[in-house]
Amino acid sequence: MYAPPEVSCAVAGAGMRPLPIAATNSVTNPVAGAPSRWDNLGMAGTDYLCPHCGAEPRGGPRRGGSRPGGKPGCPYDGLAYAALRAGHDAIYFGQWRRIDSLPTEIRRGYHRIGRHLDAIGAELACHDLPGAARDLDEALEALHAADPREDAPDALRLMDNALSYAHRAIDDLLHERGLPPHHPMDFSEWYDVVEVPFRDEW
Amino acid sequence: MIDLERYPREVTLRNGATLVFRPMGRDDVDRLWVFFQRIPPEDKMFFRQDVSRREAVQRWADTLDYGLVLPILALEGDRVVGDATLHRKRTGWKQRVGVVRVQIAPDYRHLGLGTAMVRELRHLGEKSALHYLMAEVIEEQAAAVRAFEKMGFVRGATYRNFVNDQGGGLHNLLVLLYRMSS
Repeated sequence: MYAPPEVSCAVAGAGMRPLPIAATNSVTNPVAGAPSRWDNLGMAGTDYLCPHCGAEPRGGPRRGGSRPGGKPGCPYDGLAYAALRAGHDAIYFGQWRRIDSLPTEIRRGYHRIGRHLDAIGAELACHDLPGAARDLDEALEALHAADPREDAPDALRLMDNALSYAHRAIDDLLHERGLPPHHPMDFSEWYDVVEVPFRDEW
Repeated sequence: MIDLERYPREVTLRNGATLVFRPMGRDDVDRLWVFFQRIPPEDKMFFRQDVSRREAVQRWADTLDYGLVLPILALEGDRVVGDATLHRKRTGWKQRVGVVRVQIAPDYRHLGLGTAMVRELRHLGEKSALHYLMAEVIEEQAAAVRAFEKMGFVRGATYRNFVNDQGGGLHNLLVLLYRMSS
């Protein structure tokens, strides 16, 4: 069962910094999955990981992916709450949501959602946004009910619900800064994604 | 207590348009009246008052009391493109229930403005010591229903053939509820 850590308002900024590999699974860097397009890029020989999406900056002269100074050409670069957006999308487009996903992939997705919610909690600790806090509570509640070890038939649906609540909390943060909501499909080209049939907004 | 110092605040829509959210003031009568004049007749059918009459809007301005009704306008420059209201009661058995209403200009629909305004009302509701927000929507207003549900409102009740439009036709009324954190 996933157990969220205690968090406080002490999240580091999203500036580029060296991270040990193990830190890709920490609260500091909530993303344990990088855009798949990066997986195919050549090694750049750098010690840095993208603070937003957790990918190792790679790339060759013909394939792009890295910019001068070791800064990766991350699609989330420069966006508000880039790490949270990237964290959401890495899960949203993750293997666990495929129809033929393996139990190990589902378990991995479950833990990624847990880490993602930790990161959102750490960010919300810095804001007075009760609506977003409520969304996070709902997400945690859904995640707790979805323990994939129990082979629960509703696990996938509940994990999906948890991710939806997480998305709403991110949008709350963006709204508070006067920014439009996050749309994962805007970043879909960086992932292995099938096209959704439609989207609608009021 | 609602903190109105957050206004005016800029909100950027998905198409890049930047609007200003702020409470309605007494000098907004003409802007709001023009806004309602541009609302299509099929939407006006469901209005509670005849907002095509300027005096109806003037009456709102004359009786502005943010403690009872807090109207938040979305403005593009000088033009009102959205109107969201939070209605409260100071006493009585519904004093912890806030009623929300949202109206969006036709050319600003499908841009996320409705969702942004519902999100804004939800924030205000959370700051108002309310226990519930309630929205009443005609069932045919599917986009509005989706926007509320996207923000966590759940269907509390459906009243079949409960309300009539200005032409006398009957429609189902959906009551959507959002439970506050408190």
